Amino acid sequence: MGAGWSYVGRRTLFALITIFVAISLNFVLFRLAPGDRTSALRCQSCTKEFKQQLRADYGLDKSVPEQYWIYLKQTSQGDFGRSFVTEQPVINELWEPIKNTTPMILLGTILSIMLGVTTGVIAAWRRGTLTDKTTVWGGLLFYSLPTQWLALMLILYLAGPLNLPTSDIADPYLAYNNPGAWNEALDRFKHMILPAATIGLVLFGEYTLIVRSSMLEALGEDYILTARAKGLSNWEIVRKHALRNSMLPIVTLIFLSLGFILGGTILIETVFNYPGIGLQIYQSVGERDYPMLQGAFLLLTVVVILMNFIADLLYFKLDPRVTE
Amino acid sequence: MSVLSVEDLHVWFELPNDKELHAVQGISFELERGERLGLVGESGCGKTTAILAMMGLLPPTASAAGRIFLDGEDILAGGDDTMRPHRWTDIAMVFQGAMNAFDPVKTIGSQIQEPIEKAGLAEGKAARLRTAELLELVGIAGSRQDRYPHEFSGGMRQRAAIAMAIACEPKILLADEPTTALDVMVQAQILELLVQLTDDLGLAMIMVTHDLPLVSQVCNRAAVMYAGMIAETGTTAELYHHPLHPYTRMLFSATPDLLANHEIRSISGTPPRLDVAIEGCPFAPRCDSAIAACSTTPPPLRTAGPDHRAYCHVEVTK
Amino acid sequence: MSTLDASFEPVAEARKPRSRTRALLRFLREHPQAAIGAFVLLFFVLIAIFGPWIAPYGEREKVGPLFGTPSGAHPLGLDDGGIDMLSLLIYGARVTLIVGFAGAVVAMLVGGSIGILAGYFGGKIDNALMRVTDYFLVLPDLVLMIVVASIWGRSLRNIIIIIGLIYWTFMARLIRAQVKVVRERAYVKRAQALGASHTRIIFKHVIPQIAPLLLAQTVLMVALAIFLETAISFLGLGDPSVTSWGKMISSAFERSAISYGAWWAIAPPGIAVALVIMAFNMLGTAAEDSLNPRLKVSHLSRRHFRLRPLPDKEAPR
Repeated sequence: MGAGWSYVGRRTLFALITIFVAISLNFVLFRLAPGDRTSALRCQSCTKEFKQQLRADYGLDKSVPEQYWIYLKQTSQGDFGRSFVTEQPVINELWEPIKNTTPMILLGTILSIMLGVTTGVIAAWRRGTLTDKTTVWGGLLFYSLPTQWLALMLILYLAGPLNLPTSDIADPYLAYNNPGAWNEALDRFKHMILPAATIGLVLFGEYTLIVRSSMLEALGEDYILTARAKGLSNWEIVRKHALRNSMLPIVTLIFLSLGFILGGTILIETVFNYPGIGLQIYQSVGERDYPMLQGAFLLLTVVVILMNFIADLLYFKLDPRVTE
Repeated sequence: MSVLSVEDLHVWFELPNDKELHAVQGISFELERGERLGLVGESGCGKTTAILAMMGLLPPTASAAGRIFLDGEDILAGGDDTMRPHRWTDIAMVFQGAMNAFDPVKTIGSQIQEPIEKAGLAEGKAARLRTAELLELVGIAGSRQDRYPHEFSGGMRQRAAIAMAIACEPKILLADEPTTALDVMVQAQILELLVQLTDDLGLAMIMVTHDLPLVSQVCNRAAVMYAGMIAETGTTAELYHHPLHPYTRMLFSATPDLLANHEIRSISGTPPRLDVAIEGCPFAPRCDSAIAACSTTPPPLRTAGPDHRAYCHVEVTK
Repeated sequence: MSTLDASFEPVAEARKPRSRTRALLRFLREHPQAAIGAFVLLFFVLIAIFGPWIAPYGEREKVGPLFGTPSGAHPLGLDDGGIDMLSLLIYGARVTLIVGFAGAVVAMLVGGSIGILAGYFGGKIDNALMRVTDYFLVLPDLVLMIVVASIWGRSLRNIIIIIGLIYWTFMARLIRAQVKVVRERAYVKRAQALGASHTRIIFKHVIPQIAPLLLAQTVLMVALAIFLETAISFLGLGDPSVTSWGKMISSAFERSAISYGAWWAIAPPGIAVALVIMAFNMLGTAAEDSLNPRLKVSHLSRRHFRLRPLPDKEAPR
């Protein structure tokens, strides 16, 4: 459909431009930081040779527009500079943390969706009853708890009784006992549970409230009355009409809340000492490892932009009204 | 026997401050097979509530009393339980602003098929075929059943809503302001369609409207409602030329008529509150012929023909 | 459509509040959660204001061993520096609330201005401003904040500015939508026809109309700002010279309060933050609800309408 492609085309263009803006913002923030050009690197523990290498690499003796151009070229080639701490290419250093974080976030998101959607729908259905009120207050409560605090509380009160590990990604001693792939996987999974549960609980509060209000909105629409007039039972109406309509905003919300999740991940991984991208960012801040920070920021921003893009596409696919 | 007979129907709504709104205050009327009855009145007079009650589509904050006989059976007697089996298969409705009556994320066809399959009249391919036929009946190409509601114009959506309403071959069609929010040309087409369908299919129809010329064009008989009660019932000709009730008379003279010579007079004042009991005739404060008795005693029944009734204290002179 | 609303409207009369205070009291009565929220907030604001006078001990006064357990003299125990937790909590209220309010105000000013400009002038200005807003909207907030804070340095002022710079986008969108609605209203058109300048119209007509919603949004934004402040402090990017609840959680974590089992060093500041954020959220959402009432009644319910006997009347009609 001609109309359809123009929507997709426009969203793609928007995503690409935003990525470009993020890349440029990165440049402005890091390379143009105030102070002496070399101190822009602010590397405290680097060797002189390394600093000189950097000066050459980034072209710090050249004009700003030239630096910008060099920066763009390097970025497009995947060269995000080298870590001040390890002197390795940033992009290599980021790979492992990303691998660790992704399953944890996925698990947490799935948990929050399942919990949030169920409670939200039930609350909307039983509007005005005690169940509804409890859900709303509960959702509000979880939504208001500081993420890092929730993580700490889970460690204090849940880890012991449930016998769950509270730090790192795996048991360092397990490897010595030749446990086999299954046990290793199980061990990893156990280490993921508390961090993922924290993410789940933090998100669930918001999801519950939004699912509930989206569902209530759908239930007040005229076509619901029509469906009732047609003789359908309550359950049939919810299943065939209300759910589909109320899920539209929710699906897009899930993708859009990724920005929030990433922030939470930083806090959670710091508390649990979980070696993912969040912890990496925290450590890089402490170590003033600016290239790492910059690379991580760019990467995460691009991921968020992509998620937003997917949300746009999904909305297009799910809602037949979107064509312009 | 009339296909629909309403006896002393009352509807109340709970209000937040522990009060009650007496929206429908004991209305009675009959509807014969193949007849088109208009239900007229100002907004807020309870006409929409009345027809919703006929399908049992009232909210849980509502309560009802009285009797609604469908082909002799009192379907109000068991509340929602006795009402539900007749929905769409015996009584169907075309809603006001059918624009929003359709689920925007499903095709028009699937929504017409829904009641057909639910009632067990047809399944799958047969249902699709039937849907295409219904759409053709109302003047829409059958192939358009796979389109979405937003792809139809307002008038076409209204037609589709009508097609959906007759999908299960009901005995009675309720139309709530079917042409409001449509432009004049389209209005005429819809009305023509309704007349044609009811004649061809032998449907009885109740049309709720505040638009009087419409009633004269389309309906055989009409009931005029005011403040939850029926003021007068009769054929459209009788109501127009020999109204018994001052409200009817004032209503019709408030309507501009290009061919007649009388002045246009609007009715001043507002309808009474329905959350307090009313003494006497509810129209008394605004009536131009009110006498002392009107504010104290409920008006008696007057008749002027086999089916021409009104509740009024005042004798009408021609 | 609202075939049901038609039977409600004209006959149940609307009550007009005779004064602002009346309206406010009615609002609180109809939205009990707003009342609770307001009460909680008032409590904490008073603590923040009168902090130094009511705190039993000093902000840096060491009164015992690190992570001392709760006792009669110190109901909330001691923190990692041997300082009374209760006193710290009281002192911390000030900074936390100030940062929250200030950050939200900055966001409101920046976002509000942009929203008003975009909504009022429309056209190219609107497009340009909204493009910029959209780009900023996509950037992940905490990450951006961390990056900027680590570059600009740790100070209270920076945090407030950062919060404002990142959250103006939410405000801008909302205000723009509202301004567009207001702009179409009759009195605005009339003022324009009479030749009033844009500035005058904006200040005399538009702003008073959107003020309630702006306020409600700002309240919600304060909750967000406080949330962020705790996160930033936790990651070591907060102002090291002041005590805030966020910083208290951070210190407890860094000094391994968990290994000491010192729940009193961790739980109270978090609960305090949660209470305040919840209170703001309750107030803000109640205010928003009452300004944008969505009177949509659900058409589905488990219960159905009731039947009752006919009323006694002399003449059945």
